[in-house]
Amino acid sequence: MSKLTPIEVELLRNGLTSICDEMFLAIMKSAYSTNIKERHDHSAAIFDAQGRVVVQGESLPLHLASMLGLVEVVLDRYGVEEINPGDMFLSNDPFVGRGSHLPDVAILAPIFRDGELILFVSNIAHHSDIGGMAPGSMAGGMTEIYQEGLRIPPIRIVQEDKILQDVFDLVLLNVRVPSERRGDYMAQIAANRLGNRRLKELFEKWSKEQIEGGCSAIIDAVTRRMRSSIAELPDGEYAFEDVLDDDGMGTENIPVVVNIEKKGEEIWLDFEGSGPQVRGNMNNSFAGLQASVLFALKVLVDPDGPTNHGMLEPVHIKAPEGSVVNASFPAATAARAQTCQRIIDVILGALAEAVPDRVIAACNGANGVATFSGIGPDGKYYLYMETIGGGAGGRSYKDGSDGIQVHVTNTSNLPVEALENEYPLLVDRYELIEGSGGAGKWRGGLGLRRVYRGIDHTLTFSGQGERGVKAPWGLFGGKSGGTASISLHLDDGSRQSLPIKPASFEVKPGVAVCIETAGAGGYGPPAERDIESLEDDTKSGKFSAEFMRKFYNFQN
Amino acid sequence: MTVHIGVDVGGTFTDFAVSIPEKNMQLLYKLPSTPERPDDAIIQGLNYFLTTHKLKPKEIVRFGHGTTVGTNALIQRRVGKVAMVTSRGFKDLLEIGRQTRPKVYDMHQDFPKPLVPRWLRYEVSERMRADGVVHTPLDEPELKEIANILREEQIDCIAVCFLHSHAFPEHEQRAAEVLRQNMSSDVSIMTSSMVYPEFREYERFSTTVLNAALLTVMSAYLDRLTKNVAKTGVEAEPTISQSGGGLMSAAYSRQYPIRSALSGPAAGVLGAAYRAKATQEPNIITLDIGGTSADVSLLADGEPSVVHSRRLAGFPLRLPALDVNAVGAGGGSIAWIDRDGLLKVGPESAGAVPGPACYNKGGVAATVTDANVILGRLPDTSLLDGRMDIRRDLAEGAIDKLAEKLSMSREDTALGIVQVASSVIVKAIRAISVERGHDPSKFSLFAFGGAGPLHAIDVAKDLGIKRVFIPPNPGILCAEGLLGSDLVADLIQPSLAVFDQNIFEVLNVAKSNLSMRANDWFAAESVDAKDQRQTWSADLRYAGQNFELAINFKNDQFNRDTALALRAEFDKAHEVAYGYSQSNEPVELVGMRVKLAGILSKPPLPKTKAGSVLKSIGSRKVSFGKNMWTETPIYRREAIPVEQNFEGPAVIEQMDSMLLVFPGDTAKIDGWGNLIIDLGQAED
Repeated sequence: MSKLTPIEVELLRNGLTSICDEMFLAIMKSAYSTNIKERHDHSAAIFDAQGRVVVQGESLPLHLASMLGLVEVVLDRYGVEEINPGDMFLSNDPFVGRGSHLPDVAILAPIFRDGELILFVSNIAHHSDIGGMAPGSMAGGMTEIYQEGLRIPPIRIVQEDKILQDVFDLVLLNVRVPSERRGDYMAQIAANRLGNRRLKELFEKWSKEQIEGGCSAIIDAVTRRMRSSIAELPDGEYAFEDVLDDDGMGTENIPVVVNIEKKGEEIWLDFEGSGPQVRGNMNNSFAGLQASVLFALKVLVDPDGPTNHGMLEPVHIKAPEGSVVNASFPAATAARAQTCQRIIDVILGALAEAVPDRVIAACNGANGVATFSGIGPDGKYYLYMETIGGGAGGRSYKDGSDGIQVHVTNTSNLPVEALENEYPLLVDRYELIEGSGGAGKWRGGLGLRRVYRGIDHTLTFSGQGERGVKAPWGLFGGKSGGTASISLHLDDGSRQSLPIKPASFEVKPGVAVCIETAGAGGYGPPAERDIESLEDDTKSGKFSAEFMRKFYNFQN
Repeated sequence: MTVHIGVDVGGTFTDFAVSIPEKNMQLLYKLPSTPERPDDAIIQGLNYFLTTHKLKPKEIVRFGHGTTVGTNALIQRRVGKVAMVTSRGFKDLLEIGRQTRPKVYDMHQDFPKPLVPRWLRYEVSERMRADGVVHTPLDEPELKEIANILREEQIDCIAVCFLHSHAFPEHEQRAAEVLRQNMSSDVSIMTSSMVYPEFREYERFSTTVLNAALLTVMSAYLDRLTKNVAKTGVEAEPTISQSGGGLMSAAYSRQYPIRSALSGPAAGVLGAAYRAKATQEPNIITLDIGGTSADVSLLADGEPSVVHSRRLAGFPLRLPALDVNAVGAGGGSIAWIDRDGLLKVGPESAGAVPGPACYNKGGVAATVTDANVILGRLPDTSLLDGRMDIRRDLAEGAIDKLAEKLSMSREDTALGIVQVASSVIVKAIRAISVERGHDPSKFSLFAFGGAGPLHAIDVAKDLGIKRVFIPPNPGILCAEGLLGSDLVADLIQPSLAVFDQNIFEVLNVAKSNLSMRANDWFAAESVDAKDQRQTWSADLRYAGQNFELAINFKNDQFNRDTALALRAEFDKAHEVAYGYSQSNEPVELVGMRVKLAGILSKPPLPKTKAGSVLKSIGSRKVSFGKNMWTETPIYRREAIPVEQNFEGPAVIEQMDSMLLVFPGDTAKIDGWGNLIIDLGQAED
């Protein structure tokens, strides 16, 4: 069989993508974890026999890098000859299993054709709990990975199409609310089986050689895309630095630094100068760093293109080992998404001068997390975790979005009605924070305020905030946005401020937890903001008369 | 004599289907739409039938109407002025939505701004808990204050949207009463629990606001339409097509205009359903290809699939809508080479202007239509019975530019364009069949729209489909569907409960509630007992899941055993849908639904008269695949004899479409005028 034509490659890609999408939907609709079923914190991918990602369905950017090396770690542990039809492999560890934090559990299945290993399918899903010292496995206050939950190296979970019950029981015993988690694992396994069935159908139309050649061509096509897109950036050297507030364990102002060199169709990113890895759980594995870099480049140069292994080829990443952006064992990594956000901030900041019309000002820069657990009035243990968006940065031609997830995260909120039906919690307020969008020709987006209370019980609260100290910066004369904070509203009406990464605080009945996320920076000088926008800022009540006077010298 | 009329108003054309059962006659008619005043074209068409065909106004007993008035108003944001009153702490919810951006990798795309600006969103102290406990009582003096302010604004409607009102509507209802007493009577008041009582507040509030915004739009339109229809002497009240299929009375439509907002793509599906029913082909996949898009949907056992969540003009809508999946692959879709060197088709379309290159109206880009001309699948002389000239040289020029970049021959490039367009359509069909647990090879493909019949065979072969149906007038199917529809309504009763020993009691309570509301609807729509139909289902899930499966049940009182049987049905359905079931895990009831239908008298489809002998009017070379050029006879559709098999290859021409029969396939025209193609052995 000769080489596939560009048309046949596109036809095969459509076929594989369709299968990937179907796996993604199957997990979403039958999983138990709120993270998966409502917030879609999961993804699916198809790999070639060499373990390169060929297509990745609709998914979270952070999962891409975990997918990129997944087959490799499985093949490192089990040679090809040990992998048989009907096998599936489980993995989550950032240091030996290519994970980026423990709650993201990957399940990989080899796909055979006439007895020969030809493809892999895999999916990754964020489980509501993976054990460890804190409910939800995401809280601050942990200093090494052992405290964060069950570490799973790439191991077999299914053999000859049967779940290895011993292994499964061991996993389930180590996680909270195992009956629900069982459903999550089942949903993931079922999705891989579905992928297997669908690929077998696809094999009726494509020969082995066509599939192999086609997969390589699909990857090469993405490389070509990436190369030609990078070529559009002006050659040059660019640099930027920023800081993370703290690690929740005493280390403050953690630097994140990037130096970028762009030449022709390739780009080099060096993170030398970033802070050493920290005791708290803000550390990023190399997979997480890779994912952040690829995300930042993709949004700037090729937002519409597909994602696969081919993206990596023209992108060269260097980062000091043992740093907060490329941590070594046994660093705690649960909150690595915060660091990913800052990595993206500095890449966008550095490239602002190169592509001023494509970058946006600094966003809320966090992956705001709130975790609640306790024994409700019905006597049952519960555990609930959610993430909260904030402001998005001003753009070169329009305002930043208010109250939205940014960059590596795009997980939806849980409807208040769903939350209150499932958990003994009550949401007092969910609203935009007035005045939190940085002034500018195009203003930054507003942060979010979410206020919760427990119903008739004492609960345990942990949180993860960022940009509580260092405000999200504006660009080209735009002002900074509002900072984040976490506080308690006591029943006597007073407020008690909490650290930005509170770990396991007891919250008595009658006390409410208030989380405020950061707004975002503005773009361009405030003096250039048009009158219609100024009037809308005032009339909408999003900005006070005082704010409007101070930053725009505007009076209605 | 009785006459039934269906009028479907689309963006470009207003289509009419008139049925006169006593004469075994169906008349079709097409006029350009009049978007600024859509009723103008309707009246023009009515007058045409009354004068040209000598129909008497009083003979018209049914007037089914599909309208996009609501859809267009929302897309253009030319809607009523709405204020919102919501629970304290939540006035921004309508703006925050689900706190996501439309595309992960796109920092520049946003969801649209809410239809109610922030200064018209008011909070009132009140709060229900999830279990119906009043956490904060409704503050009526606050409401009166709000009414005082709103009286100064020229408001058309107030949407009252409180948390947990889907299950506990008391606060919403009371608030609506207080506002009613304090606002002038020309301001409408809508509660979210009345528009669609389902949990997930953002989607419910959004749906309520969309409905509120359309109230004045729809009323103004229906006022004008009924007045002008009355002037022609026609007494039949228009019944309006709904997004979820079926019709509703004009009165119901005035109250719930949002229910027709997605009826545009539904119309063709209903036309297909009408024909499918008549021809006893219950399992079909519909394929409607126009200039810019291909719309696909699935009917199992004659019933169109329905989804409960859609987007309209960027806003989420929680109401039943036919599960129509649209992709940007139509006749005018442009073929291009992406930056990765691969050939892509659509979603960009050359539309009617500048149109495909071969139309010679200024288009230079290669389109699917140009590719079809190169392949001989479309004639290279003219279309529309000679009314539109085709320039083969222009098609060649456009395709050659791509062929050169791909280093492929002109023919292979043209074939590639058609194949890529088909693969995009196949992907869309997989999403509504395979991904929903249906095996497409067990369905027939029902192709319509100007370009549907041309691509149906390629698509069918790829999906393993063995039979293709093409209605007599593929371009005017939508209006016909209105003749075959009934009055319908969907009622839901939220009822969250664990499926335990005593669940049958909960089920019976929900059922008697719904029964009462069902009877109210039948009375309001004046449906006789003999014409009433009810389809009952319960929404179930494993406790801890978030997506429910609807399990049908019979309209009998529940007891322990039948409740248990319902649960067993759910386990089975879960296994089918998701590949696993957990019969030992607890199940939750989320709600109950009943679909009501008031059966309307429907004209039977007219029978086609048998023609004479099959005789071609010429032949041309057609490419049916790589290196498969075949000299192919051309037939006029109206001259093909009924119930007589003939073998492909064949080109069949008619005014509004072009049909292909591949070599090895067998075709015939059935008694209702449908062209039925049975596909031979799958070829490589």
